[in-house]
Amino acid sequence: MSPIAHSLRPFASRLLAQKLPLPSVCRAAAAPASFPRGSIRCFSQSPLAQLKKYTESHEWIELADDGKTAKIGITKYAAHSLGDVVFVELPEVGLEVSAGEPVGAVESVKSASDVLSPVSGTVTQGNAVLDDKAKFINQSPEDEAWIAEIEVADVKELDALLDEKAYKETIDEE
Amino acid sequence: MPRPWPRAACWLSSASSSSLLIPCYGHRFNPSRRRWNSSFSADCFAQLASRPSSKHQIYQSLSTDPYVNLSIEHFLLEHAPIDSNILFLYINQPCVVIGRNQNPWLETNLRVLHNDRGSADNATTSDHDPQDAHALYVRRRSGGGAVFHDEGNLNYSVISPRTTFTRNKHAEMVVRALHHLGATNTRVNDRHDIVMSLDSATTGEQATPQPRKISGSAFKLTRHRALHHGTCLLDSPNINILGSFLRSPARDYIKAKGVESVRSPVANVSSVFADASIPFSIQDVIASIMQEFAGLYQAGPDAVRRAQRAYVHEPELYSGDDWVVGAVGEAQGYEEPEIMKGIDELRSLEWKYTQTPQFIFSTHPVDEEDPRERPALPASLPPSTRVFLRLKHGAIIESHISTSSDSEVASEQAVRLHETLKERKLHELTPPQWKEVLHAQLGAEEDSHAIEELARFITTKLGWV
Repeated sequence: MSPIAHSLRPFASRLLAQKLPLPSVCRAAAAPASFPRGSIRCFSQSPLAQLKKYTESHEWIELADDGKTAKIGITKYAAHSLGDVVFVELPEVGLEVSAGEPVGAVESVKSASDVLSPVSGTVTQGNAVLDDKAKFINQSPEDEAWIAEIEVADVKELDALLDEKAYKETIDEE
Repeated sequence: MPRPWPRAACWLSSASSSSLLIPCYGHRFNPSRRRWNSSFSADCFAQLASRPSSKHQIYQSLSTDPYVNLSIEHFLLEHAPIDSNILFLYINQPCVVIGRNQNPWLETNLRVLHNDRGSADNATTSDHDPQDAHALYVRRRSGGGAVFHDEGNLNYSVISPRTTFTRNKHAEMVVRALHHLGATNTRVNDRHDIVMSLDSATTGEQATPQPRKISGSAFKLTRHRALHHGTCLLDSPNINILGSFLRSPARDYIKAKGVESVRSPVANVSSVFADASIPFSIQDVIASIMQEFAGLYQAGPDAVRRAQRAYVHEPELYSGDDWVVGAVGEAQGYEEPEIMKGIDELRSLEWKYTQTPQFIFSTHPVDEEDPRERPALPASLPPSTRVFLRLKHGAIIESHISTSSDSEVASEQAVRLHETLKERKLHELTPPQWKEVLHAQLGAEEDSHAIEELARFITTKLGWV
């Protein structure tokens, strides 16, 4: 990640923290409002809050307990708006992707759409279940019908992504 | 006729009265200070198309090369401003275009198409002989099924923001254009295609005939943008033999993952006008679609007038404050590196063949995967002949080919053959190679005539001969 993005991130988190109510786990530990830094640190370190992140292009990424691998899929919103998925193009194991590059593709109702990797990493597996049952994506988009698993190059890249609430706000705008 | 505005070639002149000229490919290109409504050499295509103020864009292609047209279209999808609305119209030389996730061995009749398979040396089709009358085989980037194009088929493509996109809106735009010209029996169906209802007098059928498809749609969605392109059979001279390009000799043997085409009876829009005194021309349809597009997206009358007249000129572009219109051609494709990259990708055998989703080819029913009864094998083959291939990324990952009626011998044959065939790309296995492999591995048990026949059977089904 570029140094500029590094220096911007705390600012973005600060805005985010002011906008969003903090999860209850953090609230107890939160410092007084005049000193917001402590609460931010707590917020960003909370495993529950950090586990799953979203992109504006409607992908989700969920970090595994090992803190290194993550599963990537498309959101419920995306699955619903695409309609019946008829084919999922899975990535090859070993494929190196940068954030924003395709890590797969789905086809629904004559429409091809790329699935973009939210962060950089190396593909460790594609979800072979989808080879035989593409429409599984419509049934369980944010759970069992994940599309790719990657080994994340830099876990910090997840910090810059949207949390659930921020993502929901972006889809409300559409 | 004198040009109404001075031609600016590849230099966009500034609005100020000074003689300052800014090359359109320069870093200092300043769109807001450009002269109003100028004409430009088509070299400026990439710059004008990606100019942030180019909200309305209308182009007609003078190229009939499907690789060029699909790649210009892809460039517009990726590089035009995200709030722009673009109409791109083109007509391709005869070709079969399959959807991104389709199988050429199943969806096309490779036997009647230009053959670019074989060794990797053959990888470029750029030197495709124009005298070669064969239609091309093309895989596009959007989804959907297989279609046939020729000089009587107009392709329309609309690229717009994803937020306001619906799957029917541009097919409906084309229907309005067709209605305007008098083809009032056209409508959009529930597959987002355009169909034409025929009265029974026209078809000679007893009952109300099934509507004929005149246009098929496909889409590509990106983060901010939606591309909708569709065919439109206006006056195809191949209308009665079109199905033969899309009928695979292997359809009884192949079961493929991915997307299967839905077959529909087709008709030409021109058939409506066959007995009418109204002359029908493709250029009228083009002008009418441009008009409807402008109505849908509020493009100004200046832009539409310019766009409608552009085809009579060489590739040339016209531009106003918030619009670009004109005619583009092969040169624009080849000169812009991003477009050239797209052309090379579409032409590559990797894209055309190894992009194919997994499939199996089998002369016998396969439990669960493909239990269909198969046609009888040719009498010239040993009755115990079995051919099974499983392919992933166009390469053989599993196989069983045998001729012996003795199951032990058969499995030895299959093992030997698989050793030679495994990981081979199907499109690279030419008929001589099939013969060589089969002779080498089956020669011990089988007579050479039967081996020749087996090679012929396999290569016929795979569309070589």
